[in-house]
Amino acid sequence: MKRLTGCAAAVAASLLLACGASAQTKDWSSIKIATEGAYKPWNFTDPSGKLVGFEIDLAEDLCKRMKAKCEIVAQAFDGVIPALNAGKFDAIMAGMNITDKRKEAIAFSEIYGRTPSTFAVLKSSPLAKLPEAGKVYSLNADGLAAAQKSLNELKPMLKGKVIGVQTSTAQANFLEQYFKDVIEIRQYKTTEQHDLDLAAGRVDGVFASISYLKGVVEAPENKEMMLAGPRYSGGALGFGVAVGLRKTDPELQAKFNAAVSAAVADGTVKTLSMKWFGFDVTPR
Amino acid sequence: MSYFELMGFGPKGWGLLLLKATGMTVAVSCVAFGLGSAVGALIAWARIQGSRTLKLGAEAYTTVLRGIPDLLVIYLLYFGGSAAMTAVGHALGAEGFVGVNAFASGAIAVGIISGAYQSEIFRGAFGAIARGELEAARAVGMSGRLLFRRIVVPQTLRFAIPGLGNVWQLALKESALISVVGLTEILRQAQVGAGSTRQPFAFFITAAALYLMLSSISGWGFQKAEALGMRGVRRS
Repeated sequence: MKRLTGCAAAVAASLLLACGASAQTKDWSSIKIATEGAYKPWNFTDPSGKLVGFEIDLAEDLCKRMKAKCEIVAQAFDGVIPALNAGKFDAIMAGMNITDKRKEAIAFSEIYGRTPSTFAVLKSSPLAKLPEAGKVYSLNADGLAAAQKSLNELKPMLKGKVIGVQTSTAQANFLEQYFKDVIEIRQYKTTEQHDLDLAAGRVDGVFASISYLKGVVEAPENKEMMLAGPRYSGGALGFGVAVGLRKTDPELQAKFNAAVSAAVADGTVKTLSMKWFGFDVTPR
Repeated sequence: MSYFELMGFGPKGWGLLLLKATGMTVAVSCVAFGLGSAVGALIAWARIQGSRTLKLGAEAYTTVLRGIPDLLVIYLLYFGGSAAMTAVGHALGAEGFVGVNAFASGAIAVGIISGAYQSEIFRGAFGAIARGELEAARAVGMSGRLLFRRIVVPQTLRFAIPGLGNVWQLALKESALISVVGLTEILRQAQVGAGSTRQPFAFFITAAALYLMLSSISGWGFQKAEALGMRGVRRS
């Protein structure tokens, strides 16, 4: 066992040498923000490798308001929360919805975007005839009764169907909570992967944010796909998209809160939203 | 936009980024494989020559590292490593976060896994050396070090090459797992491209082609090395 501990020590020592310490000031004059860089139009990458998108523009605006110098880095989505808590960066802006589950691990700023989620299916599928297409239901306390009624109406049509969803998302939580005993939920690492399986007919439908799915069904190679059924927001689907922060940084949270509220109030969020989404995602 | 335009080097092409990512994959795999060779040789030596405790330790190492998922090793090293080093930093009076470099932790993670596999290959290859050769070397009065340099190392390597070729391909493919720590290698770049252009199929097929290209080239290299190593041996 001596060799084993010796080995661990050697590994730790070489890590120290290889990486060095990145000391950090706590006055938040510089902030490191992580995004996914692969979630059009929230945040994505152009062919030159530059990060672009709604959240990149918004981050720039927020940092100006906070009088901070910001660095935006790309990070795979499935490691983003542990990496934040390990201290790799200070904030997450990655189209991430606030959910109760995530709130156990990290803190959130005020909401800067809210888009409902819905199903996408193949036009040839029986699910293309899901009722109440386009109708928006809120899962928050005020609309929950109506939403529950519509969910119950969907259940017989969805019985036994396979629905794809990105793993560790609010949409996955939603399916787990409301359709667990009715459908087979198949989880994917990225949304593109469930789109591929939808095109291949391996899943009967996918469930994702409308801001994402709208682009998918409009793409020329996805002519046979369409949006279906009612749309849902709030509740298990997250209260909205916000900046993710460590729980130990309340000063930074206060700064982001002020900046986000100001950007929502003066219409900056709406302007950027029209530019990138073609519709308004401003939370109301 | 055609496939070739999308993957090309024009203003709208992803060629340059994919090329850079390929370079990153090669770099991580090479560093990891080299590290794995060093670790593997040490472990193999411990298992062959070491004391009882050394043998047990080495055996535990290969059993554990080969027995748990590689992704878990990467997570442990990267997130656990950062947290542990930050804690050590705090104990020494440093403020804030101590980062683990993504390249270093990725290469080390794949390296120590590769080391576990390589140690088995070295051990097997050592076992394949004819005992008579070692006895003959001792009989002519070779000391331990000379025997090691002239007989054990060249003969072991010769037998190890085919197995090492296999482990190299494992390291090459394991490098794809490092995308979770934010290192932009082929798979991560393909995912980013897929999410940014909504053309996943084009990017994933390109990534597959790139991996296949790398493994073919290195496979050819290992074949040459094997032929070179066996040039003094007549095959029946």
